Order: sequence, then C-alpha cells, then structure tokens
Amino acid sequence: MQFEIVGGILDIETIATGSGIREIARLRKAYGRGRWRKRKGVCRVRLADGQIQLAEIHWYEAAGIGRREYKIKHLL
Amino acid sequence: MAKTSNEQLVICLDNEGYAAALERRKIYVVLPDDEADKRGLLRVIDESGEDYLYPKSSFSPVTLPDALKKAVLAT
Repeated sequence: MQFEIVGGILDIETIATGSGIREIARLRKAYGRGRWRKRKGVCRVRLADGQIQLAEIHWYEAAGIGRREYKIKHLL
Repeated sequence: MAKTSNEQLVICLDNEGYAAALERRKIYVVLPDDEADKRGLLRVIDESGEDYLYPKSSFSPVTLPDALKKAVLAT
C-alpha cells in the first residue's frame, strides 16, 4: 500500500460479499478461503507526496484473516 | 462500458500489496483523472472491474497500434 491511513475509518459499509465480489477467486488464491467482504469507508490518507487528504477507500476483509488491499476510490 | 479515445493503456510493473487487485505484466485501462495525475496517481480499472487510484510508479504506459488498442479495449 503506497499511502498511509491517518486516524480511523468512518462510515464503514459492506458493498459486496462472497461470490458478489468479482475478484473472489484471486482473493482466495492470495490470502486463503474465508467469508470475504468488500467494504468501504472514509478516512484521511497520507499520500506519497506527504500530503494528507480525505478519501473514500475500499478494502477486502475476512474473519480470521483481517483486512487486505486498501485502495483509494476517490480523493474527497 | 463505452470506450473512448481518452482511455490509455498501461502495463503493471509492481503489484506489491495488491495481489488480488492487480497482476504484474498485465495491461490495464487508465481513465482520465487530472486531479489524481497531479498527485502522482493513476485511475486504473483493476481486476475488480472498478477504477481505483494507484501510484504511477507501479505502471508504465503502453503504446499499441490503433487496431490492437481497439481490440484490447473491446475485451
């Protein structure tokens, strides 16, 4: 991940689960089987240039595995 | 999704931390995003089929002949 999450993540929602996640096969191959959920939230991120910005981020999450692959959807 | 001539193609050089979302040596479509560009980011349609912001340094631009680019964008 080439940005850093600063503080907590707010407004967390689940946007897809299990087979509703298009890349579920890749997730299972990379991190193992689990009840994968794709989630979104809003937080402040520190970008590679050092600037801190509010952003909507998405990530994958499964019980017993944790959160994986935080991605920036939009800079707000 | 309608494809436009504004879309560019890049090849993924580094997918560290994104094993599910990106695949090294694979070609991806980039959508125009001026604000992201100023921040050193690219808006890439990844394996999820959605567009996300990734560091430019993880990709290299790819120039293909028009016919080939059209074929790639059609897939």
